[in-house]
Amino acid sequence: MFQGFPEIKEALISNKMQVAFMVAPMAIALRSQGVPIRIVYLGHRYGSAVVVRKDGPVKTFADMKGRTIAIPSRFSDERLIVFRVMKRFGLTRNDIKMIEMPPADVAGALAAKAIDAFSMGEPYPSQAEMMGIGRILFQARDYWPDYMSCVLVVRQDVIDKRPEAVQVLVDGIARSGAWLDQGRPHREHAADFVARLYFHQNPRLLLWALTNPPDRVMYTPLTPFQRDFDLVRDLMRETGVLDRNIEFNEYVDSRFAEGARFQTAWKYEPGDALSQ
Amino acid sequence: MSNTKLILSGLLLWTGIITALHLYLNIDWSAALNDRLPEDKRKFNVAYIPVT
Repeated sequence: MFQGFPEIKEALISNKMQVAFMVAPMAIALRSQGVPIRIVYLGHRYGSAVVVRKDGPVKTFADMKGRTIAIPSRFSDERLIVFRVMKRFGLTRNDIKMIEMPPADVAGALAAKAIDAFSMGEPYPSQAEMMGIGRILFQARDYWPDYMSCVLVVRQDVIDKRPEAVQVLVDGIARSGAWLDQGRPHREHAADFVARLYFHQNPRLLLWALTNPPDRVMYTPLTPFQRDFDLVRDLMRETGVLDRNIEFNEYVDSRFAEGARFQTAWKYEPGDALSQ
Repeated sequence: MSNTKLILSGLLLWTGIITALHLYLNIDWSAALNDRLPEDKRKFNVAYIPVT
């Protein structure tokens, strides 16, 4: 487990990690710079939000003029959604100060009034809500209907040498996603064991993020669609973090998503493991 | 037992305990063993941050 995307990038380049979940723009930028990786699947859809201080001065996005917002990375969808909404409200890049901040720090920074808002993936918006310090100004999907953020990235040498293992991984994620989207009991169970065993967070926090409301984060469909990535690429170009028009097939290998297209949800109900 | 021997035995014991605790608490043995497997048998190391 890492605490920020820059560290993941380094681990992937050095082959310490062969596979990574990272924000889509970072994956596109790395591939554009010649790093031998490919996006093979999405991690989730939606699940990012802009959060402001509860009872603070920001009531609408227009109030953000002259204020500071934290983003996880300049190569993140959470930055792009801010630009997209700025355009909608007639604001320019000089109107809002953006600072990069590790996701785990943003709720504290908002409470301490070091920032006026943050644009982050879950569970950090939920954390600010649960702590009683933050209010969701908008969900990313409100302004970007097919919003995506984290993607699954695999080193090209791994794809070349072990495509069958990559397919097993993608199939597993597809089945987990379908299972999660089957209803609240599955989400409650996932929140519990993922928080305890993987994220080392309070299970209530993940429960909030996964169920409040249930479509706050979605895990289907996870196939990388060209139209979604073209939009991300174009926004990256527009906002100055990509210097060429890299084509979809250059940074996405869609055969694994195609191979996982007919995967069905895991046959597992909460409590099954205990009854065996 | 002379004082010197006593001190050396104590040091040895202390070093042994600290080493054993270090090996138990600080080494990710499954990762270390995985790195020694042939490339086609290794589990992937998957990087993530605690976000959904």
